[in-house]
Amino acid sequence: MTTSIILETPSPTLGLIPENGLSVVHTSPPRVDGLEKVTGSALYAADYSFPGMLYGKILRSKHAHARIVHIDKSKALALEGVKAVITHADAPKELHAGSPAPRVGQMVADQYVLAEKARYFGDGIAAVAAVSEEILEEALHLIEVEYEPLPAVFDMVEAMKPDAPSIHGTERNLVGPPFIIERGDVEEGFAQAETIFEGHYETGRPVPCYMEPNACVCRWDRGGKLTIWSSTQCAFMVRGILSQVLGIPAHDVRVIVEHMGGGFGAKQDLYQHEFVCAILARETRRPVKMEYSRKESFLGGRSRHPIKITLKQGLGKDGLLTAREVRLVSNTGGYASHGLGITAVGCLDIASLYRCEKNLKIEGISVYTNNPIAGAYRGFGAVQAFFALETQIDEMAVASGVDPLDFRLKNIVGDGDLSPSEHHILGDGLAVCLRRGAEEMGWYERKKMGRNNSSPLKRGWGVGTEMHSSGAYPDIEEQSNAIIRMNEDGTVNLIIGMADLGTGTRTMAAQIAAEVLGISLGEIRVIDGDTDVTPFDIGAYASRTTYVGGGAVLKAANHLKKQLLELASERLECPLEDLSLIEGRVFAKNAPNEGIAVRDLVSGEGGRPPRTLIGQGNNEPTVAYSFGAHFAEVEVDTEIGQIKVLQVIAVHEIGRAINPVAVAGQIEGGIQQGIGHALTEDFIIDKKTGRPLNPSFVDYKMPLALDMPKIKTIILEEFPDPSGPFGAKGIGEDPIIPIGPAIGNAVYEATGVRMRELPITPEKFLKAFAET
Amino acid sequence: MKHMVSTIINGERRELAIKPYRSLLDVLRNEAELTGSKKGCDVGDCGACTVILDGKPINSCLVLGVEVDGSEITTIEGLADHTAPGAPLHPLQESILQHGGAQCGFCTPGILMAAKALLDETPRPTDEEARFAIAGNLCRCTGYTKIVESILSISGSEGAL
Amino acid sequence: MRPFDYFEPATLPEAVSLLERFDGRASILAGGTDLLVEIKERIRLPDHVINIKKVPGLDYLSYDPVDGLKIGSLATLHEVETSPVVIEKYAGLYQAARELGSIQVRNRATVAGNICRASPSADTLPPLIADNATIHTFGPDGERSIPMEKFFTGPGKTVLLDGEILTRINVPSPPPNTGKVYLKLGRRAAMELATVGVAVTLTLDGNECRSVRIVLGAVAPTPMRATDAEDILIGKAISENAIEEASQAAKDQCRPISDVRGSADYRREMVRVLTGRALRMSIEAANEGNSPFDISTDQTVD
Repeated sequence: MTTSIILETPSPTLGLIPENGLSVVHTSPPRVDGLEKVTGSALYAADYSFPGMLYGKILRSKHAHARIVHIDKSKALALEGVKAVITHADAPKELHAGSPAPRVGQMVADQYVLAEKARYFGDGIAAVAAVSEEILEEALHLIEVEYEPLPAVFDMVEAMKPDAPSIHGTERNLVGPPFIIERGDVEEGFAQAETIFEGHYETGRPVPCYMEPNACVCRWDRGGKLTIWSSTQCAFMVRGILSQVLGIPAHDVRVIVEHMGGGFGAKQDLYQHEFVCAILARETRRPVKMEYSRKESFLGGRSRHPIKITLKQGLGKDGLLTAREVRLVSNTGGYASHGLGITAVGCLDIASLYRCEKNLKIEGISVYTNNPIAGAYRGFGAVQAFFALETQIDEMAVASGVDPLDFRLKNIVGDGDLSPSEHHILGDGLAVCLRRGAEEMGWYERKKMGRNNSSPLKRGWGVGTEMHSSGAYPDIEEQSNAIIRMNEDGTVNLIIGMADLGTGTRTMAAQIAAEVLGISLGEIRVIDGDTDVTPFDIGAYASRTTYVGGGAVLKAANHLKKQLLELASERLECPLEDLSLIEGRVFAKNAPNEGIAVRDLVSGEGGRPPRTLIGQGNNEPTVAYSFGAHFAEVEVDTEIGQIKVLQVIAVHEIGRAINPVAVAGQIEGGIQQGIGHALTEDFIIDKKTGRPLNPSFVDYKMPLALDMPKIKTIILEEFPDPSGPFGAKGIGEDPIIPIGPAIGNAVYEATGVRMRELPITPEKFLKAFAET
Repeated sequence: MKHMVSTIINGERRELAIKPYRSLLDVLRNEAELTGSKKGCDVGDCGACTVILDGKPINSCLVLGVEVDGSEITTIEGLADHTAPGAPLHPLQESILQHGGAQCGFCTPGILMAAKALLDETPRPTDEEARFAIAGNLCRCTGYTKIVESILSISGSEGAL
Repeated sequence: MRPFDYFEPATLPEAVSLLERFDGRASILAGGTDLLVEIKERIRLPDHVINIKKVPGLDYLSYDPVDGLKIGSLATLHEVETSPVVIEKYAGLYQAARELGSIQVRNRATVAGNICRASPSADTLPPLIADNATIHTFGPDGERSIPMEKFFTGPGKTVLLDGEILTRINVPSPPPNTGKVYLKLGRRAAMELATVGVAVTLTLDGNECRSVRIVLGAVAPTPMRATDAEDILIGKAISENAIEEASQAAKDQCRPISDVRGSADYRREMVRVLTGRALRMSIEAANEGNSPFDISTDQTVD
């Protein structure tokens, strides 16, 4: 383990771990698929090729809002090597929701494979298959499109005005009805307040920037079955929606995901190429590969939702919150995707974190505009909601003369309080994270440098917190499945439906199975990413994989273990309860030196064929919460407006770390994305034309190795959750959430400038600095 | 139309017929059937296609395949000698495995080649030098911490374990 | 990439005759890091690509005290940033080369290519102009030499004639007590196109500014001399007031546009701030007779 990680495990384990401790879980072995990745032999979707394979590409709209009057494909079709050109006239007229999982409210089916109307700059309107990529490129330029440009609207407030152009024919361009939470009497709450705080907060349009651009390869067999190798977080959802749109049964669609180069939520959606590729392959009767360019991954990808939040809170004489009123408007772009879900989650999240259950009124609205599609992205709704809440909490502390940390400790939710999902919270995770981080950095002893020194460089510290559910319950009835099969030599195939988008799912699953079965990781092979083979799983999102899927593996392994012990009980003539399974052998309590190897239990002998033992696990938990607090130190160059993050102390309470190094990897990676969102990353859309202005890695600025601060990661296991495997809770979303407000609050401490809009660009900072 | 190119890739002489407008990256991935080098942007902004050409790390997407006639190329597939079964990994590969420096793995081949080029010239780099050497390699999963640790720990530099 | 024919001329005259033959439909390939991107993005669609890397005698980087630094047209940015003489005597160029793109790019990209691309934000241009570099070309009518300051006519546009090839950049040897600085404004520590670039080459005579050239990048269609600022300083005693006055003059003289990297107003203000910083750093370097940058390799981020 590396020096940058501190893992702290208090003694109470609630019976969630074996009496003799853990031997595989709670350690950090190299990833089970790591060898493939470090040798370049791991295959990603675009690495597959087949004899006779064609290449496909999408023609994208040059207008943000336009009716497609006519498409002349004759010149493209006449080019030698072009095998098919399709437009909306050739594609199924089946509306689909694009994004797979039903969340709060309904997913909105508002997308066609290829539309007769472009709703954002880059909306796919036709597609070509050709024998080479060069011919493909020429063919795209030979397609002649007659557009009828329509008035377009890009600002979410403008879009709701009565005379705004209508994008989908909905009232005021709303995606669906507002999401409303009302508890108690908010007016009464404000009447009780000594001070009322009101502020407007806004977040930008960061893009996930998974390193692997979207890609797929489609191949039909003569019997009418489609196999698609795709880069998706939700293989079964790809199967489901493809089968719906193509009009074929589920067993005629096989989705294979061997390795994927990140997704961060966005690859929950089905992208246009996945449909188009299947259609082109069917039409040409040849395999077709489609790879998005990086520019297409920006244009036709999914960003985070830009959200405007008006937040009003009352503070009582006793320093406690009396009321909270929120209006949240979310810009979903040209199609709904996860628009309604994200709005709902944002509303539910902003209802929590700081105790204010009694007088609460929250309204969330999701609006169509002619911008590129916003979709699911790590921290779904929470990033935006908690930026607003954590910033205003800091403002309240400063205004009332209370240390921001003390103010938080007084108001933060804890054991028994309401969580966003309206469950009661288990444990004081937030307070523990805050205290531990404060101790690590010396919060109360810190020098408040910055404002009064004469240098243009000012330093300050800030803190932000978050809590996140493991899984999307109750929005989704969570469920995961695992199958574990023991072979005749005692080795194991673990078959899981979960996706490993780079997070370490396979390793986590193998560690849990190995722990239960008392075997080594080398005796387990994980099979995943194939809808023909694995049990159903809804996919990777909402920090659910370890908590929900790991739980299914635990159940499957226990089911297999039970069968092994039953066999051993017969062989050793010993009652079940007196048997234990350690390091591949079953022992009777009274004969610890004898026992029988697992392998000998299952291998055939004397004419008896080997036994096939299959363990099954189905896991349908509700929800658990992980907690986090980030402390960030920044240096602000007040002449050029640039902000540098000098160090971050990240404290997360996650119940149990199945693989601590993998957990730290999630945290460090989340912090990189969060620093980008806070300071440099924003997908900028031209306000007049809707044309994206920075669809490249040069002008969309992800932090580089040289830009990253020193990170100290502290993993706490104070509150293992009985519903998680060995007490484990999720970590995927958490680390991207608190870093943004921690940076904003640090900028305030350094300079006295309160930034309420992300990203904090040099120009925005200098403008605010000049005004203070 | 095609040009014959003679090159040594991962120690093996290859004679390839190459269209002049194909990038080295496409030639490696398609003609040479070495898909370990990745196409993350195709315009030199991400480093996922980094290979070592005549001793220097370069973006293979910004070199034409025809340009490498007479050159020597090492790709991720040739970082360690895999010709013998059970052959050991390159220390960098072992280190990045042990440190958890590869998550989704898509940037990993490019990172490893950039790091190898660094260590070939600077066997004991500082933290700053390691970060400088991989500044052209984007990673979206790790935050780079464990990648830098992987590089420093095998070189025995300060800042390592 | 759109298909093209490919040539590897063995001599300069051969390269020039190919250029003449294809009459504007050919592109010269040296490093390729700009050209291939432009072809991929269909910004440039040559029917013919002429790779001059096989032409002998263009890949040098040499220095002597009389003629100064000579950069052959195939010399890479990596060769420049690792050259001891560049680090010692051409600190602005060193810093510009070191901050351009990534190591992978710098191993291919050439200084000549950076010049011929003529991007307003190109990093090596301001320090080379500040250092009063001269460009040497070879074409159908033989050789020419052009002061680099006069080389650029607009974004992507130079005075190179059809069939002409840049062969060498000559940079004079600096007099004693000269300080050089290039400051690049970008949002990240690498992989950036300059939002503003400021190069200063300044020579002191005691406390008096004997000569100074201030060149601004990314704030006009071409790199531009901040001549008003220079006039304020030349022949005068160095003072904080003069520096601030000169910085303001540079701000007033530049004419930036607004784009995704920064607004015109921001760029103007940054010209003021960075010119001030670059002047102070170059004065310090001129006083010490040293490169203003810590060029040792044992820095740490702690």
